This record gives sequence, structure tokens and C-alpha cells, in this order.
Amino acid sequence: MSLDAAFLTALLLSTLRQTAPLLLTALGGMFSERSGVVNIALEGILLFGALTAAVVVERLEAALGPGPHPWLPWVGVLAAMGVGGLVAFVHALVSIKYRADQIISATAINLLALGAPSLVLTYFYGNATSSKEVANRLPLWGPEGFQLSPLVYVAFLLVPLTWWVLFKTPFGLRLRAVGEHPEAADTLGVNVHRMRYTGVVLSGVLTGLAGAYLSIGFLNQFVRGMSAGMGFIALAALIFGKWHPVGILFSTLLFGFASALAIQLQGSEILPAVLVQAFPYVVTVLVLAGFIGKSRPPAAVGKPYEK
Amino acid sequence: MLTDRKRLGLLVLLGGGVTLLLWYLAPWAVPHRIFGGEGVLLNPFGHHLPQGRLPQGYQDTWLYPVFYLSLAWLLLSLLLPWTRAGVRGLYWAGALGLGLFLLTYLLFQGSVAQVNAGAERPLLRRFSLGLGSYATLAYGLYLLLLARVFSPGGLAFLVRRRGVVVPLFSLLLASFLGGVIVALLKETPARAQDLRDAFLLKLDLITYTYQLLYSPLVNPSGFLQSLLLATPLVFTGLAVALGFRGGLFNIGAPGQLILGAIAAMLVGVYLPGPRWLVLPLALLAAALAGGLWGAIPGWLKARFGAHEVINTIMFNYIAASLFLFLISANEYKFFGKTLYLPFKYPGYEARSYEIRPEARIPHWTDLVAPGGELSFALPLALLLGVLGYFLVRKSLGHRVLAATLLGVLGYGVGGLLPGPEVAFGPDLTSVRLNGAFLLALLALLFFHFYVFRHVGGYELRALGLAPKAAEYGGVAVGRKVVLVMFLSGALAGLAAAHYVLGGGIDEYRLKQSLPYSVGFDGIAVALMGQNTPLGVGLAAWLFGILLTGGLQVNLQLGISRELVAVLQALIVLFIAAGGFLPRYFTDPLRAAEVELKAEKEVKE
Repeated sequence: MSLDAAFLTALLLSTLRQTAPLLLTALGGMFSERSGVVNIALEGILLFGALTAAVVVERLEAALGPGPHPWLPWVGVLAAMGVGGLVAFVHALVSIKYRADQIISATAINLLALGAPSLVLTYFYGNATSSKEVANRLPLWGPEGFQLSPLVYVAFLLVPLTWWVLFKTPFGLRLRAVGEHPEAADTLGVNVHRMRYTGVVLSGVLTGLAGAYLSIGFLNQFVRGMSAGMGFIALAALIFGKWHPVGILFSTLLFGFASALAIQLQGSEILPAVLVQAFPYVVTVLVLAGFIGKSRPPAAVGKPYEK
Repeated sequence: MLTDRKRLGLLVLLGGGVTLLLWYLAPWAVPHRIFGGEGVLLNPFGHHLPQGRLPQGYQDTWLYPVFYLSLAWLLLSLLLPWTRAGVRGLYWAGALGLGLFLLTYLLFQGSVAQVNAGAERPLLRRFSLGLGSYATLAYGLYLLLLARVFSPGGLAFLVRRRGVVVPLFSLLLASFLGGVIVALLKETPARAQDLRDAFLLKLDLITYTYQLLYSPLVNPSGFLQSLLLATPLVFTGLAVALGFRGGLFNIGAPGQLILGAIAAMLVGVYLPGPRWLVLPLALLAAALAGGLWGAIPGWLKARFGAHEVINTIMFNYIAASLFLFLISANEYKFFGKTLYLPFKYPGYEARSYEIRPEARIPHWTDLVAPGGELSFALPLALLLGVLGYFLVRKSLGHRVLAATLLGVLGYGVGGLLPGPEVAFGPDLTSVRLNGAFLLALLALLFFHFYVFRHVGGYELRALGLAPKAAEYGGVAVGRKVVLVMFLSGALAGLAAAHYVLGGGIDEYRLKQSLPYSVGFDGIAVALMGQNTPLGVGLAAWLFGILLTGGLQVNLQLGISRELVAVLQALIVLFIAAGGFLPRYFTDPLRAAEVELKAEKEVKE
């Protein structure tokens, strides 16, 4: 295998494709954690988003009959964002209003995401592992030979946008304030709970978007457990990226590159793919321990706030 | 603000109304049911009969006196709160309700006994009472509960038992939501004639689903199967519970289980030697490997302050990679050089070589009746062990030592005694329950003694309740964190012994299908069991029953058995939210306030 141009292009494309869902999810997680709510439910929300997009598109196809419907995948995307936000809202409700341990409540959602899709799939398709394939996937945009899903562009465009929102708008300031020092923010008249609800629901919406990308952008169906730990890698990227959009961009690119490399290395003679897949996890452990730069979370993350 | 009496009256009215509605809309009994769920539904307001009439030999004459009796009882109970008898009367009414349910059950059994005689028709699956009759039981219990809560100090009575109230209430809520899910996702097996018939069918479908879920309780092979599935859950549940007690969230049980499985496989396959040496060594290896895999995140937390939740999640994935690396192929290329591994068994499937016979954990039949003769070894060991513990009146260490020694003695002597011959049917011997179940019981005992009876456990709990105070009190926090994570990981690692050494699934091998996600289920078990050994044991068994029943649900109704996973997740969510109950059920300080108020009340 030689390092020719074709290989490099394929690797680059694959990296971008692998990075997009990580980036969307990690940026979403950033909103939640910056507001002071740990969100390890990203993995589960990804699955719910992917399931929603695939099922909604497939069901609508069945209802509308054959023929290309270019707008249809976008309905799926919106539905996935809605359901992602809804699932995140459950996490927010339980952990903000009922002061549950945020990690346990998120774990419950992850457990739910392991079981619930099977029930839905059995109901619609009579099998517990995958949905029917959809005919109307998300389109591909870009010049010949370098075509990417629109959601990939969206993901990268979101980086400057989230940076602007987080650091240049009053909303961003308040969001960061309730994550760092809710008492102080409360004294200044910021509604801590409302900011946190917003942060968590935003994280769900973006993660739902990433889920839609997985099922109707990357593939054309929902497959059980298709997120394969991506939500947790995004969480790792969030930490590695120090809860900052630009940091997250680079960390997700690194992890995306690692997954792309693992895919490209299948059957090659350089490194076993199974080991390359573990790379993001090892890096995260090292980062957390402070071996590669120290990463500091928002000060009030994980603590319920009470007046 | 309503007075207590008015509130009681309204609550009774509410419960009575719901009961009446269920009596009208739900079947009282299902004397006959076929595969797929369609049944003969009896209801005093009109049956649902698939063939237009009662099948040959069945009777419904018993139903009407029961119904009128129940109706009289219900009306009486509605009036009681307004009479002088008040709360005390409700106790009687509640007890009467339980009696009525028993009567219903006996009459029903009598009506089907003749038809069932000779035919093997399992209760709950092929014939059973229906939701209407269960409503009688539920209303009776509800009255008893109300009577207790509205007596002086009643609220404190509930709050004091919040360790039971919160999980049970969460289970109830989750079951209710599960019922709604079933009603939405599954069509009834028969077509409804009218609205009431539709309700009759839907409510019967939900009841039937739950009856199937709990049916392993009344079925011998299902019972054993539920213990089999509970075994690994006990280990992982204890692993998570130990972490919780020490204020740590060990979400890494799956990874620790994987490492335990790898270590058990290495010793079990490659270490020759006699049974008494190899089997304990293999178990030890599983515990050590799991423990080390848990201790590393513990150390990272103690030394660098890295959060254990993220780290244990990462370690799960690293373990999964390592697992696949070892077992999915024997040849790997590193930069063109080839590395050879010896672990994968030839063939398409990713699995290890077989565990040597000496390192296998014996099957339950070999423990209960080796060579076809019932053995007294285990019962005698248990008896002498318990006797030793309670008769020796010295320090705890002495008592445990005496119990252990006597237990071993009992095992030896009991093994020598001749026993009667027994034979088990193939439905029982095919259940792969094994000695790991006994290990799980021992692990429960270990948890109890270590956490609640040992200085180390005291320090551990202090660390969990108030880390700063514990440190001030002289606990070496860093070392303790590592130790807690080590013990927690070791418990999770032992769960692997059940799968690899005990052949818990189908083979005595390490296989790619190793269900390491039971490590996550351990979270549900620990929460449901409120981090106590008895609770964890019962919760693991409950989930074992539900998982076994889930197979029946899948088989007979075509609902994915993941319904159980959904129930589990909902339970976790609801317990995390304190069952949506008032705060004095979750906050110890507020609970104490309730307690104080109750003391005043009782004095008045």
C-alpha cells in the first residue's frame, strides 16, 4: 500500500465524515456542561436521534409512495433534532427539577437507548436489530470526487457560530456564568434553572442532528447500537478540547482521524485496527490525568442548584 | 387546607373509583388461554368469549357471588372514613379485601381444577386471574397502607422505610409506564366488538405481559433460569453498590468483567494442575484482573484528581479493544512484522480454547446431587456455618472464623453421608446454573461484613457520606479510593467466572458474545437494592426473573424482550428522581423533621 494521492484523499474524506458526528455531539455536550449539567447521555441521545430519523423517513416514504422526495430527509433531520431535544429535556427535568444525580439520570437514558429501539423496530419492522433501508438519504454536496453530506458542512460551520454564541453574546455569558458560579449568576438576576434547561436541550438537539447524520447521512438505515461509543468519544473530545469550540474542533479532528485511520488500516500491515480504535480512549485517560495538558471543567458542573 | 378526615375520605374514594372502573373494564379471570395471548375473559358485566360461549367444562357461576360480595365490601370501605370507626375500620376493610382475593383465587382454582386435571397447563401462562381480581388485592393493600399512614406517626412510618418505599414506588411507576408502552406497541390478539370489549382485551394484554414476566416464579425451570441470570447481576450490582457506598460511581464494571474473563480464561485454559489448586487460582485471577482494571482509574483519581466516571467509561472501551485483539485473530501485522498470538480457537467464531475440566465451576446438578444421589454437603455446611456464627459469642472475627471452619466441616461430613437417589428432568438439567451462584451468595456475605461490620467498611462509608470529615477523622483518602475501586473491580471481575469458568451461557470458553453489558445492569441492581447486600440480592433476582420472563414475552406475544431493559432503565431514572416523591423521602435532614413532628403527634 502506497501513500498516494488517492489514499490521502480517501483518508481526508473519511476523516471529515468521522469527525462530523463527533463534532456535532461534542459541541452539543459543550452547551450542557458549560451550563453546569454533566451529560453522559450523549451516547443514548445519538441512538434516539438516529432511530427517529430513519424511522420517520422510512414511514413517510411508505405513506407517500415511490419517487424521489428530496425534502424528506430534512423532515427526518428535524424530527431527530426534536426527539434529541426531548430526551435531553427528560435528563434536564430529572436532574434539575428533581435534583437527581446527573450521572445516574444520564445513565438511565443510555440504558433506555439500549432497549427502546428494539421495541420500536419490532413494532414497525418485526425485527429487533435494524430498520428498513430508506430510499431518500441526505444528499451529497461538493465537487466531483469530494462529496460530503450537508451535515458535515453544518458541523464545521457550527464551530465559529458556537464560539460567537458562547463568548460574544449575553446568552453565552449567562450560560457560562451558571456553570461556573450559579449563586453569583442568580444574584445578578440570571434564571439559573432556565439557562440549564436551555443548555441541556440544546445539547440534545445537536446530538439528535448527529444521530440523523449517522442513520440517513452516513448509512441509509438504523442499526442497533450503531453509535458504537461515539457519544462517549465526543465526551472525551469535549474534555480534551477543554470545553472550548476551537479545542473541540481539533480534538474531534484528531479522534475522527483515528477512526478514519482504523477504517483505512483494515487489512493493512501497519497497525491492527482493533488497537487503533482504542486510541481516543487512551488519549482521554492521559488528558484527564494531566499527562497531555491540564483540562479543567466548569466549576459547578454536576452540582444541582438550589436557591 | 383539607382536614385529615376529608383527605382520607377523598383518597379512599379515588382508590375505590379506580377499582370499580377496573372491575368493569378488566377481566376478572382467564380460565383458558392459547399461545399468542388470546383467552377466554370472564367479567361479571359480560365475558369476552372467542367462540361465542364458554369452552366445554368451564363454569362462571362462581363469579357472580364473588362480584356482589366485592361490591358490598367496596361500598362499605367508601363510607368508613366518615364513620366513627375511621382509620381502625380501614384496617379491617383492608384485611377483608385480602380475604376476598383469596376467596376469588380459591373459587377460580376450583372452577378450573377439573378441566386442568391431567393436562399440564402452567399457571399464569395458560390460565390465571385477571386484572379485575388483582384490583381487589391492590385496593385491599391500598386501604391497609392508608390506614397506617393516617394513624398517628403514619408519615414517619413511611419515611423511615424510604429505602424500600422509593425503589418499590419506582418499580410501580416503571411498570405502569411499561404497561402503557405495551398497550401502544402491541395489538390485541382478538378484534374488539365494542369499546368495553376493547378495554377488556387491552387490559388483559397488559396483564398477560406482566404475568409472563413474573411467570418464572411458579415454574421450576424458569425459577432456576432466573437464579442463573441473577448470578452475574449480583456481582456487578455489588461492584456498583460498593462504589456508591464509598462515594464513587464505578461505571466501569463491563470493562472489569472483560479483564476478569480474560484472566480466568488464561488460567483456566493454560495452567495445568489439580482441581483444588487451579479452580481457586482461576477465580483469584479473575478477581485480581478485574480489581486492577478498577484500581487504575481509582489511582488516577487519587493521584491526579481525574474523574472516575469518565475514566471508567474509557477503560470499558479499552478493555473491549483488548478483548477483541486477543480473541478475534491470531496473527497481527505491526509495521510489516507479524505478531503471533495463541489464544483464538481455530474457526470462524471468535472464541478461546476450552477451559480445562479441572478449572470449571461445577454445574448445579453436580453440587446438589453428584452421581445422581442427593448430597447433604451443602445443606449441612450451611446449617453448621449458621450455627457456628450464632453460637460462638466472641468477637466478629472469631465468629466468622468458627462459621467458616464449621461450614467446611459440614461440607466434608455431608459429602460422606449417603443420600437418596434423585433424577432431574431435562428441562432442569439444561439450565446452566452453576457454583458461581454460591460464590455470589458469598459475595453478598462479604459485602455485608466488610461494609457494615469492619473498620475498613466504616471508613469507606464515611468517605462516601462526608469525604472531608473522613479525611479529618484519619482516613487515608487516596489509598481508600484506590482500594474501593480495586474491590469493586474485583467483584465485577468475578462475574466473569460465571460466564467463562461456569459455562453460564453455553460453553466453557471465553467468547465474543460475552455479555459484558451486565456491568451496566449492575447500576440498576445497586440502585434498586439501595446499596445493601439484601437489597442487591433481591434486586438481582427480580431482574433475573424479569429477564427470564422476557423470553416468554418474546416467544408468546412477539414483543421484544428488550421490554425488560426499558423497564430497568425507567426504574433507574425514577429512583434517581427519588420516585417523584416529596423531598423528605430522599433528603435525610427533611426525613428527620418528619420524624420529630411524628413524635409530637404520637405524644398528643
